[in-house]
Amino acid sequence: MKNPKAATIKKRRFFLTSEDLNGYLFILVALIIFSIFTIYPVISAIITSFQDYKPFGSEWVRLENYEKALSSKLFWKAIKNTAVYTAVTVPGSLAIAFTVAVMIMPFSRKSQALFKSLYYIPAVASGVALSVVWLWLYDASPSGLFNQILTFFHIPTQNWLGSSKTAMLSMILMSLLSGQGSSIIIYIAALLGIDNSYFEAAELDGATFMQKVAYIVLPLCKPTTLFLLVTGIINSFQVFMNAYMMTGGGPDNNTTMIGLLIFNNAFEYGKYGLACAQAIMLAIVIAALTAIQFKVAGENVEY
Amino acid sequence: MKKLTALLLVLAMVLAMFAACGSNEAPKTTEAPKAAEEQPTEAQPTEEKAPEEDTITVLMPPVTGDYIELLDGWIADFQKDYPHIQVEVIATSWDDHFNKLSTMALAGEAPDIAEIPAKNVGVYVDMGVAVNIADYLPAERLADYDQNALDYMTLDNTVYGLPLYLTIQSLGGNKAMLENAGVKVEEVQKNGWTYEQFLKAIEAGTTADTFGFVFANAGVCTSDMVDVFGSISGITSNFTDDLKYAYTSENMLNLLKAVETMVSSGFMPDYTVEAGQRLVMLQTGKTMITGKAMPLFENNVKKNVAAMADGSAVEGSIDMEYVFLPVPTMEGVTEHCYGQVDGLIAMRNKNTTDEHLKNVCLFLDYLTSGERVANTVNQLLLACVCESGRQAQAGADLGQSPNNAAATTRCIGLVKAPPVGVTSEQAANAMTVMNEVIEPKFQALLAGELTAEKMYDEVCSAAFELFGEDGCETGFIG
Repeated sequence: MKNPKAATIKKRRFFLTSEDLNGYLFILVALIIFSIFTIYPVISAIITSFQDYKPFGSEWVRLENYEKALSSKLFWKAIKNTAVYTAVTVPGSLAIAFTVAVMIMPFSRKSQALFKSLYYIPAVASGVALSVVWLWLYDASPSGLFNQILTFFHIPTQNWLGSSKTAMLSMILMSLLSGQGSSIIIYIAALLGIDNSYFEAAELDGATFMQKVAYIVLPLCKPTTLFLLVTGIINSFQVFMNAYMMTGGGPDNNTTMIGLLIFNNAFEYGKYGLACAQAIMLAIVIAALTAIQFKVAGENVEY
Repeated sequence: MKKLTALLLVLAMVLAMFAACGSNEAPKTTEAPKAAEEQPTEAQPTEEKAPEEDTITVLMPPVTGDYIELLDGWIADFQKDYPHIQVEVIATSWDDHFNKLSTMALAGEAPDIAEIPAKNVGVYVDMGVAVNIADYLPAERLADYDQNALDYMTLDNTVYGLPLYLTIQSLGGNKAMLENAGVKVEEVQKNGWTYEQFLKAIEAGTTADTFGFVFANAGVCTSDMVDVFGSISGITSNFTDDLKYAYTSENMLNLLKAVETMVSSGFMPDYTVEAGQRLVMLQTGKTMITGKAMPLFENNVKKNVAAMADGSAVEGSIDMEYVFLPVPTMEGVTEHCYGQVDGLIAMRNKNTTDEHLKNVCLFLDYLTSGERVANTVNQLLLACVCESGRQAQAGADLGQSPNNAAATTRCIGLVKAPPVGVTSEQAANAMTVMNEVIEPKFQALLAGELTAEKMYDEVCSAAFELFGEDGCETGFIG
């Protein structure tokens, strides 16, 4: 038996009512901007990834750029580096942001605003300025700040950004300590949205602070956590500035992130087609990871 | 009514957006400008058609501190003779110059003239935006330039630009500290020295507070160390005279072993040194010799010493005399100095016509010759690489000490140009091996995480893959 509602929907699909047209007109500007600055570059990048790009007369090379990228040891090393960086920084960032947000919550509104501003300041500063400060902190000579602290505790000084053993760690530390402002504010907003009655009931039941966090706060913040996890992984896979400014990808390509590799191929070596192929593959990886996250962590999440 | 108003507003916004986007078209080039050799020096008959307006775009970093300001004056002088040619200067910083240039070139919007180091010429040739300037310049103008310097701007036997200056990259030191370490400074400046003498000197110069030798090796400076130490071991270019890749030779292994020895000896720091840090270490007496060093550093040191009087010098500065030194030479190797030509390249963009390129090359030649280049080179304490520049430079007092001036001249004479006949593909492959293998592995070698032999094997493996084993030199380059 035919579903009359489905038939109606099917029928409406081909005829735009004046209400539909009005709706499309209202989003026209946004749609045009999105098409020019997002859809067109993406389509252009896909086309370029199948070409040996030259400004005056590109040649079609079929899948050659993809084959080159996949057979390059450096590409896989960059993927591995990016994955390691993401695996540590994203959960670490979430844990720090959540902990700080929970610690800020008991304060008065004024104090909360002060802490929120303080933690958000690094987000306002430019990445280049931040990197310059961190370069100074990581100065490998004995007069470097971190090395002076190590010397104070009689620990040998470190070649922070120049050694394979510490370069990635240094980048991760920089990321964890300088980029949590936005996440903290989002978590605080989520915490403010939790009804007080849950905490009152828990107190009547004699719940400890940790039990309240585990059984009330964490489950009710799950949509926020999922949002921060997804955006965090996307941003982390696209990380570029830190590696570009701090290490240039060295030593021995141990901090070469996929974003930096794409940039170098495009703007250092002029291999635009190869860079586009790598960018398309990065987009596919990020899309797949995002889909998996929504599938695994997105169940039972209400927005 | 509300819907109609909203619709009108939306349409107005869309139209405004397109109007804004469409108003920034690149200037069109002219159809019939004068060729370089046809430039009239006398009044033209009135019936002749006046040359059409043309605009040349120049992308320029601060080659010297006041280069951009000087450029404005030179343009004004140029326009006295060629009033129909307008010049637009896009000033960049060294940090963003090459990224901006690549982005513009890839978009088909390359500037007509840009400053680049000669080793980057291959990238733009490969992109198809570089121009054979010999097609647009008369032979007598090309003859003004030293062949040695022109060879740097040449690929596949085609000249893609004109040299601005040939900079020599070597070593510099504190004269008093060197003499205390037993180095006969003037003799070294006059006759050069061996690698063994250099090692002994930096050993003697190393104390509890001072390193015998410091080389800036952080980030992009790594390639400088490879280049300068390459000349110590006999590698003067990516390719040998018979066009084989040179970094797979026995000389490379010798070079890597030398670096490994120096790092482990404690005569130089075992940590990363930033570019600016090495000069500070020299000025504060924390190192006896530094690299890479240029003759220009004499001015920096003199200014810093003078600034000690009013307290504006680098903190902890000492009174010192800077000496420019040749690089040492390993056994069995002919003495060389590493040199790099920076030049101006002519580029093609979407609007380029042959007539426009004639104007571009005319202005390019104007900038890289005569008083303009003499002024630039004087500030860098270098020697001109074109006859007209040398004539303009004659008799100029550079404020350089006679011994440093003589050492500079001697080192310039020791620079060996890259071999002629290198293809753009070879140049691009050499750049790939340098950026993806040699530089990263060299950083690991400096950090003591890789042995010289292991690194050499990895370089050979990568080079054999790109050039083929036959395309690589595996013997000794004498």
